[in-house]
Parts: sequence; C-alpha cells; structure tokens
Amino acid sequence: MNGKSKYSYYVEERALELKDRPRKFLEAFAAVLEHSNYGLPLEVYARITARCSRCAADCQLYQETCADGDIPCRRSELLLRIYRRYFTRAGVLQARLAGGFTLDDDYLDEMAEAYYRCTACRRCKMTCPMGIDHGLITHLARWLLAEIDVIPKALLVAVREQLEGVGNTSAIPVPALKDTCEFLEEEFRDIYNAEIKFPIDVQGAEYVFFPAVSDFLLEADTLMGNAAVMHVTRGSWTIGTGNYDGINYGLFYSDRMMERIVHNVAAEVRRLGGSKVLVGECGHATRSAWFLPTFCGRDAPPVVNCMQYALAQLEAGKIPLKEQKILERVTYHDPCNIARVGRLVEEPREILRVICKDYVEMTPNRTENYCCGGGGGTVSIDEIRAFRTGPLGRRKARQIRETGARYVVAPCANCKKQLRELCQDNGLEEVEVVGLHDLLLKVIDLEKGA
Amino acid sequence: MEAWLAFARGPAFVFAFSFMVLGLVRHLLLTLLEISRVMRRAGDKEFAWRRIVRATARWLLPAGQLRRHPAYSMTSILFHVAIVVVPLFLAGHIALWDRGLGVSWPAIPNGLADVLTVVAVAAAAALVVQRAAARATRALSGFQEYALPPVVALPFLSGFLVMHPQWNPVSHESMLLVHVLSADLLMVLMPLTKLTHAVLVPGVQLVAELGWHWPPDAGSKLARTLGKEGVPI
Repeated sequence: MNGKSKYSYYVEERALELKDRPRKFLEAFAAVLEHSNYGLPLEVYARITARCSRCAADCQLYQETCADGDIPCRRSELLLRIYRRYFTRAGVLQARLAGGFTLDDDYLDEMAEAYYRCTACRRCKMTCPMGIDHGLITHLARWLLAEIDVIPKALLVAVREQLEGVGNTSAIPVPALKDTCEFLEEEFRDIYNAEIKFPIDVQGAEYVFFPAVSDFLLEADTLMGNAAVMHVTRGSWTIGTGNYDGINYGLFYSDRMMERIVHNVAAEVRRLGGSKVLVGECGHATRSAWFLPTFCGRDAPPVVNCMQYALAQLEAGKIPLKEQKILERVTYHDPCNIARVGRLVEEPREILRVICKDYVEMTPNRTENYCCGGGGGTVSIDEIRAFRTGPLGRRKARQIRETGARYVVAPCANCKKQLRELCQDNGLEEVEVVGLHDLLLKVIDLEKGA
Repeated sequence: MEAWLAFARGPAFVFAFSFMVLGLVRHLLLTLLEISRVMRRAGDKEFAWRRIVRATARWLLPAGQLRRHPAYSMTSILFHVAIVVVPLFLAGHIALWDRGLGVSWPAIPNGLADVLTVVAVAAAAALVVQRAAARATRALSGFQEYALPPVVALPFLSGFLVMHPQWNPVSHESMLLVHVLSADLLMVLMPLTKLTHAVLVPGVQLVAELGWHWPPDAGSKLARTLGKEGVPI
C-alpha cells in the first residue's frame, strides 16, 4: 500500500504505521508554542475570528468548488479549535467541565487533506476584516502534521535528497552539473557565437548563484538568460559546487527543515567568500532566502533576486538590447511568494515594458494576483495534477485566456511547471510559459555586450 | 421594579463596566507583552514598519473593502459607527457620567442619535440575515455568530424605546431595566467573546507580520524537545 487510499497524495509507509498520533501531535504543538513565535497570532486569531466568509469570495479554490471545507476561515478553524481546546485555560476548563471536542485520528486526517488543498497563497488575508493570515495557519498546520510524519512523499523525498543525499532536490551530482554548464556554454558558442561562461567555484565572487536546481534540467533558456545578463554586465558571480540549489521545501512543510536548508545556503556563500546571494527565477526560493537574517542574524549575506539585478543593470544602461523587441503579446504572472506582500512586483514589469512591444496585464494582478494553482509545494505532487489544473487552477487558466497572450512570463520554477500543465489541461496549447530571462536572452545584443 | 432598576444601574453596572475595562485592558496588555517577546526573540529584527502601518491604516479605513464586498462592508461599517458613537456621545449618557463622576464631553444631537440607533438595530438584523442567507457564512456560523448581533442590538432597541415612550409597549421602568441590564450583559461579554476584537483589531496587521518573524533556532530546539535530533529525515 502506498498511502494513496488514505490521502489524495502519497505519503511514506511510516506515516500510516505511526501509533498514538493525537498525543504526538499535541506534544509537537506544545513544543512549537514553546520555541516558536506562533503563539501570538494563534492567541489573537483564536479570539477574534469573525467567520464572515469574505475569504471564501476571494479564494480561487472555493470559487470553483463551493465546498464548505474549502472556505479558508473554516480550514484555519481546524487548527484554531485544537489550540483553543488544549492550549487556552478556558478551553481546558470547558473540556473538564463539559467534555466536548477531543482530537482524534479522523480529525488529523481531515486536517491532512484540508491543509494540502490550500496553496498558502495568502490572497484571502487581503480581504479578512480581522486581518487573519490563513496562509500562516496553513504553514504552521503543515509543520505540525509533518511532526507526525504526514508529509507528501514528493516533498519529503526532495528534502531528504537535499539534506542527506546528493545535496539538492533534483539529485543532480556535481559532474552532471558541470556537464550541463559546459553544454550551455557550447550552446552559446553554437547559437549566439558568444563566449559566455558559467563560472564554477570562483572564490571571492560578489554573487553566489542559487537557482531552483531543476532549472539545470528543465530551463536552459532561463539559465542562459541569467548567464547572458551577468556576462554583458561583467557581473562577478559563481555557481558553488557545495550547494547550487535555491529550492527550500521546508517553507512548504517544516520550519525545522527550512532552518537547515537556509543555513546551507549561508554556509556555501561563506565557503566561497562571496558577499551576496543571487537567487534565480523562483518565487519560493526567493522568499526562503529572505529568511536568511531570521536564521543567520545580522551577518547574513544580502539577498538579490536576478530580476532586481537585471533591472538595476538595465537602468544603468549596462544591458545592450537589439533593435527588435519581442513582438508577440506577453503577459506576466505574479508568483505569490514574491508578490503578495508587494515586495517584488514592479521590477519584472519595468523590464518587460522595455523589451516587449505588446505587454498586457492580467486582472487582478500584483498583490491581488491569483495563484498559479501549484503554490505551497502542491506542484511537486504529481498525483494531484487533476486537482491542480482543475478546480485549483481553472481561475488562472481563465485569466491567461482573457489576455490573449502568446507568452506567459512566470519567473518561478514551480509556477512554470504548474502553468504549463494548466495550459495543457485547459486547452491553451498555443500559450508558451517562459521565464523573464528567456525573453531577455532573445533581445540582449551579445555582440555589443561582448 | 425600583429595587431592580437601582441594582442594574448601581452595582451591576459598576461590575459590568469594570469587568469590561479590566478584561479588555488585560487582553491588550498580554498581547503587547507577547508582541514585545516575539520581537525580542525574532532572528530578523527588520520589521516592515511602513508596510504594517500602511496595511493597518487601510484596514481601519475600509474603503478598499467597500469596493470588493459593497453590501456586507456597508452594513458592517454603518453598524460599527453607530454602536461606537451612540453610547459614548448620547447626551443622556453624558449627563449620567456628569452626575456620577463630574466629567462630561460634547454630545451629539438627539435626532442624530435616533437615526444612528435605528441604523444599529437595522444593521444588526441585516448582518444576521446576510449570515443566514449565504451558504458560506452559514457553514461557518455557530451559536455565538447568530446570538451576538441581537445581544448587541438589544440595548439600542430598548434605549430607543425608552427615549420614545409613544412606541414603548411596556412601562418606562421596565424598558429602562431591559436597557440597562442588556447593556450590562454586553459589557461583560466584551472580553469573553469575539467582541474582544474591539481592542485587538488595530494590531492584527502587526501580528500577522510578526507571525513570520521566527526565532533563529525554533526548529532545532523543537527537534531537541521531541527527541528527533539526528534522526534521519
């Protein structure tokens, strides 16, 4: 048995064999409350939830399913109820006097299902009159579930490979990485007649590069775009063989794993004597890297997303462009992890307006964008593809169709995978999902920049 | 009746009012303490103050929400304005404070108070109707959700009838007793129910931001506590 029969995603055998789960869950909850900072939001949220369902109206999943269980507030209530019952004095007293709710296996299974139907896109937070961050609740609930081994196998296996295996989530060994880089350098020579390097293990480089490691397998154009930008701007950068993976699935299921993965990023920058972290096109990798000061303190290396770098260089006139712009219609998808709080929304747009002739916006966009439908790590769970490209992603598919765009720019490895599957499954075969640097690569004048 | 009224206006009021103030202050202080502890423990000491202030301001002036959910937001805004303004600025209430403690402040005209009172009662009714009418809210609602709006509306309805004897079906004293007792009840409920949001809501944007500011070693400490240190993933 692979667990498929119990949840809509695969889990490892040990998750199904674990005994005494309610007690272990509560022990983990107590320890989390002791050591983390989640007590504050839980205490406040547990008191003030208005249960007004405004969040339902703004949730792309609820809009499609209209199922009560998909109302964000109701999902959050699953965890808040446990908190109230076991970790507030009133709840403990009430239970002792009047009995009532007791945490059991069925309830945990309901949570396991519910919190992986949510992508933690945090769109519903924008509209909650009580300002409740349902994405935070999903994030925490998944961590607690992980402590009783309820973890989608796809996420768990990737993190195991990254922390205890080859060293990255795609299990690409160093020789294969070097081969790929050499191959891409050859491509530059063959197609563009340009001598452009992927510098490896350069000591003292200013930027140490952390793309989503899957880019080395799937997104050659994005990586070549990255290298081209660094080349024409004479940027000092390197890929470190000690750690070349920006992916951090800890963000999706366990702060404990997240802490270890972020420490490894800082360690590689230190090893190479680099000064900054340059994150490739990846939403959650960027957001995870923004947690560097959380785990490594004030001395943590500053984090720059490659789009921020590219725009700064473009504005400084250091990126020579061909006369010919991108002629096809282009639209931009905001990855939730960088856009929801408004931290990285204008940079890509400013670049796209310069290099595209026909750039159009999706509506809504920026901080109010809809998730691609694969957020929160769900994109890695292949067995729920029908759910992702169905109810979870349909709203996004409509949004894309309405723009009439030929290219959807999604500067995020996860969004790209999801959007491609979404387009396939929703009759949008003519749409091509690309990275921002894929388009940059098309318009950079490598001869002038050489 | 006289004795009951004296009780409701005297000891019961003093108790309810003190209970409300002390209860809400307690919530506020405990939350502030927790906020300062969170900020002290946070690994990342850069807090996005501008974003927090902006979001908070947007929250307290819910113009954006009006655009998204016009009917619900309008009802909610009118309801809140009415139930905050009337009890605090009714001439009759201020006169009582003046008589008891010798403090007073400007009042709103009684005509405006009448209008706002009707608005409060109507909006409370509308909130219940909206809640029961929409499938999503129905799914979320329990006893508290349906019970609180009427409990909040009762002192307003009875207060209105006290002020307008021509519509009052019972005696002045009886209605006044209902008015004072229901207000006492409401004050007691403030710190015990979700009405606590009255003091906690201005801080929710800060709380959400701080929720993502973690101690640097919460994960490894958790592993130690649960005996999972060094256990393979």
